[in-house]
Amino acid sequence: MAKLKMRRTPTRRYEAVYIFDSALEDTVIAEKLEKLQTLLSLAEPAELDHWGRRALAYKIGRHENGYYIVSRFVVEPKVLPEFERALKLDDGVVRYLLSLLEHDLGAPKLSEEEMEARRLRADDDDDDDEE
Amino acid sequence: MRRQKKPCPITEAGIRYVDYKDDRLLARFITDYGKILPSRLSGVDARHQRQLSKAVKKARYLALLPYVKGQTG
Repeated sequence: MAKLKMRRTPTRRYEAVYIFDSALEDTVIAEKLEKLQTLLSLAEPAELDHWGRRALAYKIGRHENGYYIVSRFVVEPKVLPEFERALKLDDGVVRYLLSLLEHDLGAPKLSEEEMEARRLRADDDDDDDEE
Repeated sequence: MRRQKKPCPITEAGIRYVDYKDDRLLARFITDYGKILPSRLSGVDARHQRQLSKAVKKARYLALLPYVKGQTG
């Protein structure tokens, strides 16, 4: 788990998924995101992945849609409580999930085309998985 | 009389760690009601089934997957 060198540089890799209120303007969301990320005082800029608006699988309060943003960053854990407090207080954030990123997730890096191809394939052989 | 063991579909897809954000993948391993499919039905190996169960729970929290499917309101 904790690597030895972490003793010297107590930073860890995290992945955060934010669900913003989809009723907000894109510019407002970008602003809020910017403000939240500055709280982390990152040495290197976070890796951001904007999924954009998508339907929620179930209603969260009055929300049926959300604006999803995935962010990956390396940070010292001690700044996180304040960061999470800000996230909880922000009305524009419908929900968020902050998790340690200990392993690269999914299959080894795929390009966009490969991803798409895999998704199509996954749809095609859906029937194979039935008992 | 034992049935041939199925190859693990997640291993076959070349996935090392199951990604909780990949709802398309996770959706293949839940039942019509949204429950996690037992590995004896899906053929997922134990290591990936453990990851899968965590991933599904995270995905549910993020409203990528429903807690209960086929329910209105």
